[in-house]
Amino acid sequence: MDTKTLESELPLIELEGEVDVYTAPQLKQQILSILEGGAKELAVNLTKVEYLDSTALGVLIGGLKRMREKEGNMVLICPNPRIRRVFEITGLDKIFEIFNTEQEAQSSLEKESE
Amino acid sequence: MGSENCPTCVELRIPCKPEYVGVARLAILGVASRMRFSYDEVEDVRLAVGEACTISVDWAKKNGRTESEIVLRSEVTPDSLVVEIDDEAGPRGDESRENPSEQEPENLGALLITLLVDEVTVVPRDGGTRVRMVKYARQ
Repeated sequence: MDTKTLESELPLIELEGEVDVYTAPQLKQQILSILEGGAKELAVNLTKVEYLDSTALGVLIGGLKRMREKEGNMVLICPNPRIRRVFEITGLDKIFEIFNTEQEAQSSLEKESE
Repeated sequence: MGSENCPTCVELRIPCKPEYVGVARLAILGVASRMRFSYDEVEDVRLAVGEACTISVDWAKKNGRTESEIVLRSEVTPDSLVVEIDDEAGPRGDESRENPSEQEPENLGALLITLLVDEVTVVPRDGGTRVRMVKYARQ
């Protein structure tokens, strides 16, 4: 799990491997520390994620809720159809904005903040 | 389902802790890969078993039974894969009724299981719960 800042200063969390009941608490901490830092926008990159469970979904929902409470947004980058399917079958693809690349996510958030 | 006289049964016993849920997923991935399942169907079984174990781990934590175990049993039949997950995680309350507006991970997990396998039953057993799921192989 890695936290970066894109060129546009958009905070980005890059996840790798399995995000489940064991590892999702780390993701929660990362999101909370970014929120505490005052960010209103956040992108979470799931490109290198091989497995994602309901605990991870719950953490992402919590992050999105908190960002929206601050009138901000949290978007996902997820080109992997297998991981995307978890969002689709739970209907969460209608709640999250999901993009294929960091550039797409970045330009969408830039448009929103204009 | 018993492991005696069952040549297609696999049984795995793991600690009821977050770090071992991945072990159950790996084991069932191996079993499901032997079936006439598509790649997506194997993934469905892996996710469903992971979710069932995660719910057990959550209840074990809530009930102070983190030293208990999960027993996973699978049986391959000519047309289906049957998986039973037994825990000793104590009684399960009905949180969805208490907080119907909350999208708790456990509710999401239970929803995922019902969407991913063809049959699922959840019954209380001595000191815990048994989750039984069936995934049919397409003809």
